[in-house]
Amino acid sequence: MVNSDVIRGHLESVILKLIIEQDRYGYEIASCIKKRTDNKFIIKEATLYSIVSRLEKKELIESYVGEKTHGKKRRYYKITSLGRAYYYEKKQEWLELKEILNTLLEA
Amino acid sequence: MNRIENFVRNTFKDIPKQNRDEIIDGVIEQLLEKVEDLIDSGITENVAIDQTLIEFGSLEDYFLKEQKKEKKAKRLKTIKHYRNDLMFSSVSATIIIGALIFINLMYAPDVIWFVIPALAVLFWPLAVLYNLLNKRESRRDSDE
Repeated sequence: MVNSDVIRGHLESVILKLIIEQDRYGYEIASCIKKRTDNKFIIKEATLYSIVSRLEKKELIESYVGEKTHGKKRRYYKITSLGRAYYYEKKQEWLELKEILNTLLEA
Repeated sequence: MNRIENFVRNTFKDIPKQNRDEIIDGVIEQLLEKVEDLIDSGITENVAIDQTLIEFGSLEDYFLKEQKKEKKAKRLKTIKHYRNDLMFSSVSATIIIGALIFINLMYAPDVIWFVIPALAVLFWPLAVLYNLLNKRESRRDSDE
């Protein structure tokens, strides 16, 4: 598994992105991250829930109790307009950072 | 399902009281959702719970970001405390030594014995001062 320090700084953006795509519940976010990175990055539930509750406190996402299949309850998270704006800002930041590191490390 | 609850309560038992219950309830809810999903994927309840507990991580994973800030605040607070301690011990030591001198001169002016207990009392503020300086030094080191 890769050293996750760099990823950790951007987990907020990653989670916001996943919630922007569609409303998701906690474990769905974790398994989605795992699947998309092909098991290279696995987020610990502890980390995930602390970030999610922080995002909720900052009103970047909202939660509601919805139903999955066969009437099982899940707490779903939904993006707010504030969260969307925050995400695009963060993404811009990341693009710049990527640009800088590219020039420094690969040129 | 009780295992999940016990695990979460145990993990978070030492955090500040103000939002502890809120965190515990939230985490339990999330973990139970995960267990249900895992059971749906076709494994037994016990295995699902085991896997959930193993993959949860630790308290450190939960408080990744806040931790550093809090540590710093705690450290500054202790330095302030040490300063108060130093002030208190100096004033008290002065009073005690003053009383010793007074008693000495009042009742036995021929024998100057007050120096001995005064030395002992002096070690109180000295020890506190030593602690304060140590604390400052370690703070400077960790800031660099």
